[in-house]
Order: sequence, then structure tokens, then C-alpha cells
Amino acid sequence: MVALEDLKQEAKNVLEGGTVKYIIGYKKPAAGFMAVPAFFHKPEDLDALVWDPTCFHNLVLFLKDEKKRKLGQKEPDERPVGIVVKGCDSRAVNVLLQENYIDRENVYILGVSCGKTGMVDLKKVRKYFMGKIISQIDFNENESFTVTTTEGKVEVPATDIFADRCTECRTASPVIHDVLLGEDSVRTPENPFGSLEEMENKSQEQKWDFWQEQLTKCIRCYACRSICPMCYCDECVVDTINFAVYPDTPAEEKAQKIKWVEKSPTTSENFIYHMVRAIHLAGRCVDCAECERACPVDIPLRFLNKKLEKESKELFDYDVGYDIEIPALISSFRDEDPEDFIR
Amino acid sequence: MMTEEFEPKIVAFLCKWCSSAGSDLAGVSRMEYPSNVIPIQVMCSGSVSPLYVFSAFNKGADGVLVSGCHPGDCHYIKGNYYSRRRIALLRELLKFIGLEPERFKMSWVSAAEGTKYTEVIKEFVDELKPLGAQTKLRRNG
Repeated sequence: MVALEDLKQEAKNVLEGGTVKYIIGYKKPAAGFMAVPAFFHKPEDLDALVWDPTCFHNLVLFLKDEKKRKLGQKEPDERPVGIVVKGCDSRAVNVLLQENYIDRENVYILGVSCGKTGMVDLKKVRKYFMGKIISQIDFNENESFTVTTTEGKVEVPATDIFADRCTECRTASPVIHDVLLGEDSVRTPENPFGSLEEMENKSQEQKWDFWQEQLTKCIRCYACRSICPMCYCDECVVDTINFAVYPDTPAEEKAQKIKWVEKSPTTSENFIYHMVRAIHLAGRCVDCAECERACPVDIPLRFLNKKLEKESKELFDYDVGYDIEIPALISSFRDEDPEDFIR
Repeated sequence: MMTEEFEPKIVAFLCKWCSSAGSDLAGVSRMEYPSNVIPIQVMCSGSVSPLYVFSAFNKGADGVLVSGCHPGDCHYIKGNYYSRRRIALLRELLKFIGLEPERFKMSWVSAAEGTKYTEVIKEFVDELKPLGAQTKLRRNG
């Protein structure tokens, strides 16, 4: 279990010593109990730093903002950025390192272990506590959480309010870190791809009906893309900037512009968008499930990415975010890659 | 009046060095094969982005074929190996989404295999006919 005081102390040390520019961590929200991302520039601010089972955000997202900000500065501060990462987030850092998007010197990793549990799922918590006002959720030594409500403290088994992804997690503690707080534990879930089983057992028509229902809802707000630490392209194929059409764009220029996918949120275009996103995340998605959490219309986006994670594991024996030395999934191949589907 | 048989529309991404030359061979050798294919020559099967495939389905293709050189014969040494991996993932994704797996195919056709090309197309057309028109991913608005 991570002692919050230790985390604060470590953070304070590097911030005071000037090793890092600032620290990206979590703090208590203005209202409610789910922690929110926070930027700590001064050592005295660090008193607000928290670490509890509500810190579900993947802060690695902010490293891409940092990189873009730095590119726009004439004399950027070259010191690294301190960041609090969980096991899953550390794999996201690894993927960015593997792709040479960030350098190891750019980031100072304060690794925190989830221990035997993980993050809570807000929807599950709400359902479990039906209307009670929760002020705090804490980790326990065993596989449970302590939830403080207005009616007192209750111990809840982790499995009851666990986020789905945490039940399938293999990295409870960060795989890359400068400082590690809490135990270095490896987890072996019984069924790392269990959530997919129900979907996979459906017939093609049932699968289609399911996705049709889900993706028709999509309003194309691109929240899933914005929240994703891996979606860092300056230009996305679904809303191109270079191919933008202005009122004075001549007709012949417009005709030359490729329109892969329409911007209007119709079902067919939503399918293309989500499939493109899924395939672009194949071998890169670390299953932090932020896309699903950010989705305003509750599309189970995690399934798509999880499916490709499963296939890359089963077909190509590729594990995402563990080894930064190996080439990325789709920029490498093996002679024995399956080809039984090829005529 | 006789009901017309459904004729599927196939978009075939053929690599310039092998499959496209293979289809050419089938043509100049006057081999007969169904005219349901719309061939698109690409420089390498490795250059076929999954987006091309989605786009083809989106614009009304009933089936999509990606064809390249046999492993080891790629003009660019390893393009078809990359393609093989990418297409395998793409196939699984399309299956997961609920598209009939028969609608998406990959094949290795060398420049000398005009006969194989005709066979691939014949088989593909036969498989697509009972499925009817592809409406799932077709643009609808």
C-alpha cells in the first residue's frame, strides 16, 4: 500500500530540488469524491496531492500537451516533468518511449502501486451506494476498499466496485519508474480477456446489431480521441486540417481533396471512425479505458481496443508497453506470422 | 420476367509487381473470369491502409480483396510481411464488428499466376453471391 506521506515527500524532494519543472498528479475535486488531475508548480501546493482508488485518470495524456507546448517555445525549460503513474499508465509511458515520441529524460516517473486492488468505477460505486453521499474512498491492505459516507465507514469487497479493466489487469505496479511507492506486485488474472467472451460468442448478426445500436449513438465529439494518450497525431484522418475547405477554396482544389470519411455523425461514418481509431491503437492501446469513461453517450469503446489487444497477443505474441526495445506491432513481423486466412 | 442474379462488386487492391501483373497475364492469355472486379493498382500490398478497405466498403463494395506477392518475393523485400500482419488484425476487427468474414479476402498472386488470379476471383464471387449486397458499412447519410 502506498503511504500518501511518502508520495508527497518524494514529490516535494524533486520539486524543491528543481529536478522537475512541475508535477502532474491528482487532487481532491471541488465537489464529489472522484480525484481530478492537478498540476503542482510549487512545493507548498503539494499538500493537496492525493492518491486513492478514485485516481482513474491516465495522466500520461498531459505529456503530449507538454511536448506540443515545448515545441512552440523559443527557449523551453529542458527539465523533466514529474508525473504520478499507475501500472497501466506506466505502460502508456513505455509506448510513447518505444515510439520515440518522448525521451526518457523528459519525464520523471513517480510510480504508485495499486497493490491488490485498483481503481473504482464511478458507475458501479453509484449503483452500490444508491444515493448515499460519499466523501472518501481508501485502499485497504486486503482486496477491499474503505468507503466513507455520511453514515460512516464501510468496507466493500474490491470486486464489487472495481473498474472492469482492473479485473483484467496484469500490471498492478508500474513497469517503468524513477521512484516506486508501494509494493512491486505482478498480478496474474485468471482470464485477461474475459470481458470479450460474451461478445465473441455472439453470431455475426448479433454482433452487428450490438455495434449498430452502440455506434449510432456516437455524436462524434472526439472525446475518446482527445483523452487518449496515444492519439497524438497533429492531424487526424477524420477531421483533416490540411485538407480544410474554406469559403474561398476553388472548386478544382476541393475536388482533389480526399474525403475518407464524412464528418456528419451518421452510423456508417461512425463505424469508419471507430474502426480507424481501433486499428490505429492496435498494439499501442494499454487498456486504460479512458475513452470509455470520457464517452458522453456510453459506447463500450474498450471492447474494440481490447479485442485487438487480444489478437495481437494471440496471433503475434505481442505485449503492449512492457518492453521499449522491441519494434512496434505493425512495424515488425515474424516469419511464422499466421497466414492461414490467405488464399 | 426473370429475376436478375445478384452481381457482387469487388474492389481489389493489387500490388503492382505481382498481383496486378498476374491479372494482366490472365487478361492477355484470354482467360475467362467474372467481370465483378474493380482492380486498383497499388505499389505494394504493404501500402494498403486499413482505411482503403473501410473506404471501399463505405462507398459500396460488396467484397474487398487485397493481393500481393508471395512471402519472400516482395519487390520491396518485406512489404507483404507487414501487410500480412496488418490485414490479419483488420480481418479480426471486421469480424468483431459483425461484417461477414467472407467479404474480406487476401491472396498471394504472383506475376506468373494468371490462373490462380482467375480462381481467386471466381471463388470470391461464388462466396459473395449468396450473401447479397453489402449494406452494413455502406454510406447511409
